[in-house]
Amino acid sequence: MQNKTITYEELVPDYEFSPVSYVLDDSVISKYVEAADSVFDGSVPPLAITALALTAMTGFFSLPSDAIAIHASQELEFFKPVPIGATIECRAKVARKLARGQMRMLVLELGVFDQSKEKVQSGKTTIVLTN
Amino acid sequence: MLTEIHQGNTIGPVVKNITQEKIDLYAEASGDFNPIHIDESFAASTPLGGTIAHGMLILAYASEMMTLAFGQKWITGGKLSAKFKEPARPGDTVTINGTIDSIKEQNGISYANCSFRCCNQKDATIIIGEASVKLSAD
Repeated sequence: MQNKTITYEELVPDYEFSPVSYVLDDSVISKYVEAADSVFDGSVPPLAITALALTAMTGFFSLPSDAIAIHASQELEFFKPVPIGATIECRAKVARKLARGQMRMLVLELGVFDQSKEKVQSGKTTIVLTN
Repeated sequence: MLTEIHQGNTIGPVVKNITQEKIDLYAEASGDFNPIHIDESFAASTPLGGTIAHGMLILAYASEMMTLAFGQKWITGGKLSAKFKEPARPGDTVTINGTIDSIKEQNGISYANCSFRCCNQKDATIIIGEASVKLSAD
């Protein structure tokens, strides 16, 4: 199944995005290291992986036109380093979706795997939509 | 890196200046072009009143602090939980500090449990969080 852009309203708890693979090549990581003033020790900064995974996943749904998306909280767990040039696979699903008055909240669960299908990191992202 | 890891050790600080240029660069690097970060006229028309840095950019500074303190142990056995309390804005100087609150052993593995806080130049809390690092399996 291919990922397609769906609307925020169509997202439901347990909705699983199709896995996305991408290469952490030198140009992508160099740009990230420069932008984030990161310490570079030869392995990809773990939050570079998270940031790219989140962008890949959130690109698959469109927000209501009147909404501003704000990152409210983040949980992460790191399991192993990833070298430059590695191909990683990101999987995500909707863990929770809530609405309280004007405020809407979406919780995504994220898992990132390397070429050997070993888990590199996992996380939980909470996004709040406000008007 | 910390040469000795004890309860009560402080970690950091990591200090960074936030500029619109850095935010724009981070948008390019991460692919996150949410206009609240990069479109100054749009952001000015929202309740936030102006552009804000990506939360993940500020969290990257906290991760940098943990990498500086614990090296590869952070990348191979780190865990964090963070809440974004206030946005960081262009012109802000953010400082991240942490403390090792406890060293605990579970199933023969020792963990350093830390807390950290990122604040701006007005001492407003930008991020507050907890982190743990797997130290050894002995």
